[in-house]
Amino acid sequence: MNIVKRNYYWWNKWTGYSLLILLLIATPLFTIFFKLFEKPGGSWTHIANNLLFGYFQNTILILLGVAVLTFLLGVSTAWLVSNYEFPGRRYFEWLLILPLGFPGYIMAYTYVGILDYTGPIQVFLRNSFDIHIKGSLLDIMNLPGAIFILSITLFPYVFLISRSSFVQQSKTLQEASFLLGANRFQTFFKVALPMARPAIVAGIALASMEVLNDYGTVKYFGVSTFTTGIFRAWFSMGDAGTAIYLAAILMVFVFIILYLESIQRGNRQYSSVNGIQKPLVRIHPTLGKKIFYTALCSTIFLLSFLFPFLQLLHWVSMTYAKVVNQDFYLLIFRSFGLAVVSGALVVVLSVILLYALRLSPFKWVKNITKIATLGYAIPGAVIAVGVMIPLLALDKWIYASFISSKAVGLFFSGTLFALVFAYIVRFMAVGYNPVEAGFQKIGIHVNEASRLLGTRSTKTLWKIDLPLIKTSLISGILLVFVDVLKELPLTLILRPFNYQTLATKAFDMATNEMIAESANAALIIILTGIIPIIFLNKLIKKREL
Amino acid sequence: MRILSLNQISKKYNQAKEFAVNDVSFDVEEGEILALIGESGSGKTTVLRLIAGLEHPDAGSISLSGQVIVEGKKSVPAHERQVGMVFQDYALFPHLTILENVKFGLKKNLSDPIKVAEDTLKLVGLREDYHKYPHQLSGGQQQRVALARAIAPNPKILLMDEPFSNLDAMLKDQVREEIRQIIKKTGITAIFVTHDTKDALSTADRIAILHKGYLQQIDIPKNLYEFPVNPYVANFFGKRNEIMAVPREDGFHTTFGFITDPEAKKYKEKVRLMFRPEHGEVVRRDGQQLSGKIVKISYFGSHQMVKLADEEGKRVTIRTNPGRSFDGMERAFFYLWKYDVEEAF
Repeated sequence: MNIVKRNYYWWNKWTGYSLLILLLIATPLFTIFFKLFEKPGGSWTHIANNLLFGYFQNTILILLGVAVLTFLLGVSTAWLVSNYEFPGRRYFEWLLILPLGFPGYIMAYTYVGILDYTGPIQVFLRNSFDIHIKGSLLDIMNLPGAIFILSITLFPYVFLISRSSFVQQSKTLQEASFLLGANRFQTFFKVALPMARPAIVAGIALASMEVLNDYGTVKYFGVSTFTTGIFRAWFSMGDAGTAIYLAAILMVFVFIILYLESIQRGNRQYSSVNGIQKPLVRIHPTLGKKIFYTALCSTIFLLSFLFPFLQLLHWVSMTYAKVVNQDFYLLIFRSFGLAVVSGALVVVLSVILLYALRLSPFKWVKNITKIATLGYAIPGAVIAVGVMIPLLALDKWIYASFISSKAVGLFFSGTLFALVFAYIVRFMAVGYNPVEAGFQKIGIHVNEASRLLGTRSTKTLWKIDLPLIKTSLISGILLVFVDVLKELPLTLILRPFNYQTLATKAFDMATNEMIAESANAALIIILTGIIPIIFLNKLIKKREL
Repeated sequence: MRILSLNQISKKYNQAKEFAVNDVSFDVEEGEILALIGESGSGKTTVLRLIAGLEHPDAGSISLSGQVIVEGKKSVPAHERQVGMVFQDYALFPHLTILENVKFGLKKNLSDPIKVAEDTLKLVGLREDYHKYPHQLSGGQQQRVALARAIAPNPKILLMDEPFSNLDAMLKDQVREEIRQIIKKTGITAIFVTHDTKDALSTADRIAILHKGYLQQIDIPKNLYEFPVNPYVANFFGKRNEIMAVPREDGFHTTFGFITDPEAKKYKEKVRLMFRPEHGEVVRRDGQQLSGKIVKISYFGSHQMVKLADEEGKRVTIRTNPGRSFDGMERAFFYLWKYDVEEAF
């Protein structure tokens, strides 16, 4: 019998590409981990003795404060829009997500502007009532202020995810609770809230990750946290070793939050046991309550979005003639270009990773591919440090090996390469998830059918899989695009010298007392950010129904 | 001529404790239609995927038309096996038209691939506009497209995963016959997976029964029904009654009465008599017959099933014609024209 022995069945080039990509993406994370075993930098003792306690205290207080405030804002509004019918309810469902489009640092200096001597409130008070206040109406440039600012930009995470959870809870369960004698209030605390707990905690965990990632807000408000500490060690002291130590401690915070989130979720599945679910029917409360609910949601919306947004518009109307010029267009072009390239690369890499997974018969491929999406939980400053160190070493090695020592210039570190690489590490999950969902939705059979018809895996990818997941690819690029546009701490550390993006420009201007001028760049970031939010909301609502 | 042979194939999935397919060997002759039948989880779909090259076995080898395609860790990749497959969900490419779907697998060096595709579509009896997209077709039409797409490149073997499961009962009989005719007309060798005994008995030339990953029996339908190798196979093709009997010189003594049978003297110990409902006949009292108390009569249109109980409450089911009336009767009489005897331990 003619024996035809061909390839080893477990090998395909996709697995090879996938391993290579994973190795690259994991490098910054491993760097942080291994550098921990080396001696810390020279300024470590100084920081450990004088500043570390403050970093801990402030970071923990902000985390707790934001957790409590996002819980109150997010869960209360989510409960109202999912359970009651009141004027504007349908609009609040998406209006209350819009604050997500506001990067924390922009919200921070917008609020400072609103409350300032020249801000609209004080101007109004002066002109109408002749009330004069010295300095700011309310000093928010402190720790409680930072908590407030971060909470109003991050509560939509909790709102979105708990709204989903409330809507999915079956009506029968609530009816059972009523029949057992509990009123709506008791039902909320005894049935709805405990059932939604995993979702709510997941939302708060997401918000906490963003808090740890934040640099702009705390820096602007002069609150020292681990993120600002990393910047100080890196830029002011030029001490990479200490920056890594701080980054590593920050990572411990991240893992504690991830761990707490996973143990509270446990194996429990808080969903209805049987498949039959009656949709929740919203009740009509009394007129007084209706007014109260509308007022509450309106107030939260005004504070978290509309006021600051109008303030930005006002500033833009004052300054655009001065700011929007050739340079500004170049800035937009550059930022958008950077974001598009990063988005496209993330999606291309995601496709390769997921296609390898799709073709591989092995569980371990699936397990290690998870590494790729880890970056989203890791603060931008940490990733920046983790990217910078190996690239600096690589540059040094290239100089030592190929070029005389007096040559000036960098190959990788301090170039756009480093920046884009870091964006990819940080935002891989953002593009990966929609691509994964796309592949899942089309199923494996169309791919198998194509291969059985004699088409190789690469050609199948081009002819079958990719055309079918086109929408997912575009949404992946779009989501990464927006995140890159907003990104501040990582960009500040890794950007080439004097290189500006919309985010760094807005931040630089704001910190240099040019708040009104900075609004132009800020407005573009926010407007682009709102597009995918609305798009995302549609997606979630579709899944809820 | 033998076209496909599986040799001691075993396959375990990643996390599973038990083998999905366990030491399965069988051959398929050129031009025959083989049904792989079993309950869900019996490993039948896995066998299909192993042949297609979509899974790789942990042990064993497979050869297709004289070539070893799987052995050890090596295998011919799916796209080089020339195996056609019709998926349970049809897996039509939604972004391609019907014609493009069928054309997809055709060799680029064919002189007129469009004509081949159109001819195949005509062969499967699809008279729709071939420039429509799959979602514009009914389920039955989609299945024809899937079949046309699989057979158009003239594969060495055609695999079908649950080809009849998405069709309603009315359509099923008709489609079974049509598909059998299409396959026979093209002379292609086919293997299909099903959980429905009717599909297998009416469509296949031979049937392989799988249970918990093991191949139980592979044979022509009549033999499986008449000569099952074990109780699992016997029960798979419909209900089988079992009653205990004590052998005498001239027959068997049972709790339902006495059965005259000269063969009985060959047995010494207690035996089990096994018979299918249609191997009994309900009769008027006439001579030495078995009898039981009528417990339940179920009417099925084409026949009735009568459940009878002995003194101890042990029940048997006898099939009878739909016209027979049991009005006012407490007991019914029956005889067995065929039964198997098995020594009971």
